[in-house]
Amino acid sequence: MNLDYLWNGFTVALTMQNLLIGLAGCFIGTLVGALPAIGPINGIALLIPIAYTMGLPAESTMILLAAVYCGAEYGGRISSILLNVPGDAGAVMTALDGNPMARQGRAGEALMLSGLSSFVGGVFGAVGLALFAPLLAGLAIGFGPAEYFVLMVFAFATLGSMVGSQPVKTLIGCTLGLMLATVGLDATSGAYRFTFNEPELGDGIEFVVLVIGLFSVSEALLILEHQASGVTVIRELGRMTARLDDIRKSVGATLRGSVIGFIVGVLPGTGASVSSAVSYTTEKRISDTEGTFGKGDVRGLTAPEAANNATACGAFVPMLTLGVPGSGTTAVMLGALMLYNIQPGPMLITERPEVVGGLVASLFIGNVLLLLLNLPLVNIFARVLTVPNWLLVPGILVLSVVGVYSTHASVFSILLMLGIGIIGWLLRKAGFDMAPIILGFVLGHVMEVNLRNALAISGGDISILFQSKISIILWILAGAMAVMPFIAGWRRTKVVKTATS
Amino acid sequence: MSDTTSSSSRIGRIGGLLMLALAIAYGIGGSQIEYAFASDPLGPRVVPMLLAIILAVLCLFYLKNPGTAEAFPTGQLLVKIVAVPLLLLASALLLEPAGFAASIFLLTFSVGWIFGAPLRLALIGGVGQAALWWFVFSYLLDVYLPTGQLFG
Repeated sequence: MNLDYLWNGFTVALTMQNLLIGLAGCFIGTLVGALPAIGPINGIALLIPIAYTMGLPAESTMILLAAVYCGAEYGGRISSILLNVPGDAGAVMTALDGNPMARQGRAGEALMLSGLSSFVGGVFGAVGLALFAPLLAGLAIGFGPAEYFVLMVFAFATLGSMVGSQPVKTLIGCTLGLMLATVGLDATSGAYRFTFNEPELGDGIEFVVLVIGLFSVSEALLILEHQASGVTVIRELGRMTARLDDIRKSVGATLRGSVIGFIVGVLPGTGASVSSAVSYTTEKRISDTEGTFGKGDVRGLTAPEAANNATACGAFVPMLTLGVPGSGTTAVMLGALMLYNIQPGPMLITERPEVVGGLVASLFIGNVLLLLLNLPLVNIFARVLTVPNWLLVPGILVLSVVGVYSTHASVFSILLMLGIGIIGWLLRKAGFDMAPIILGFVLGHVMEVNLRNALAISGGDISILFQSKISIILWILAGAMAVMPFIAGWRRTKVVKTATS
Repeated sequence: MSDTTSSSSRIGRIGGLLMLALAIAYGIGGSQIEYAFASDPLGPRVVPMLLAIILAVLCLFYLKNPGTAEAFPTGQLLVKIVAVPLLLLASALLLEPAGFAASIFLLTFSVGWIFGAPLRLALIGGVGQAALWWFVFSYLLDVYLPTGQLFG
């Protein structure tokens, strides 16, 4: 197997500038993860315009964003354990056993153990990514426009079957995203679509505007609505080392969590919230012989933590090799890549090895930095949890306004962001997830171009979509994914019951 | 309990109908896209029309079972929820005439106050954040920000 891209990547990631950028990203990421008000998507969305206007090269921006993503998966555990409020979606399961441990005066131990298992999961995921990426990119090299189109259908089918409890809402989200992507100039015919004669919409809806609107603005409104009353931070951390016994006990759980996390991460469209839930319920089924899960069992703490970190790395596999994001956050990163006019797909690894290699190498370095940041400095991050919302939320709004304004210096963008934010808030209240919209938006343009190219090749004959072996396999997989929620419907209710009991 | 679920599913239904209306409007709009030529057999109209049909079908499924939606805020909370976007709108419109510092102060001070800060702390927070972000973006990151006509 040819791993040259990785060794070259290390020379990119180990330059002074990129190391500092990575360190800053790890720090910001842990903060973003720890604060319940902002998750990895918000953090990344707010950083993209800043990185872009600072003139960072593509590989440095990717290193920064990847560090934030991984850092957020580390940081999420801090508020799960100390506040019993998950810092981000991937840390929901961490609270189930982490918070009981903290209430028993073992907060320090819980933070250390979960930090270690985060590290194992993260490194496992990075190794998997490094080995898997060239393989998959090699397989995908024979893809033509027709195969690409079917691959994206498969991505949406996976998404519909995995995210949330309501596939219809997920699919509606995808469709809305695809529709938003049609706004603007159509390159093949020169027609303006849905621009309402507004010149600022000629280039389509700005990606940053959509992401910041959907995530940050709507989040601010949700925080206002749910202003938590009476949440207390546990300040007694107890001893700050993990017991050797506990480490030994959680080895199996950590490794199983890492494997599950990586696999779920590789599947297109499914993120850390799914993988941590799957690994927790699996671990509970395997290990919970004495009914200690949910009461501070270290295995219930370490399994989902390893899983969400492995997922973050695994999610890069389809993003870097196929141009199909593995999670909501990688969808946003894909959008960032497109801002640099880099077309994602199987050629990326050969055309821009410094971007792919630098990113993969930075994940190894980032996980070491994150372990070093998160073990001794966990106290500092814990203190951040006491920053009041009346400082934090206005700060997020300022970053949103500046981020959107800075890319094109246009007030219209801010107004559009605001409108999208309000719609996002309404959709979220109705139980819609925002990630499918982003995924649809990011893939929408590529999907339409590939469909139209495929049909241009065949002269309008639709059977080209079903001709090659790859397309047929992908259609079958997509079909299987699409019917899965109906088969698993009765099982899901059972799983949720065991997870919360 | 049954009262809140029925009202929340009614909200879901209204949302579903709005999306159905969107699908129809989008489909009609898509079918009327004007173009001189197309280098591919589909042209710019077909994909939007397909998407409109897909969304419409999905909306019908959704309307059958809108699931649970969160109840709408009422009273004082509703006022606050409406106020935040309005304040964002105001500071966006003020950004270029009044400058970054003034419009960001308005935003951070007023939103901080809405989020429950005592008036004095909100003022301090607003001034502090306006200064902090101006320093971070203008000096550290070299991002262009409007100075406005208010302070020259």
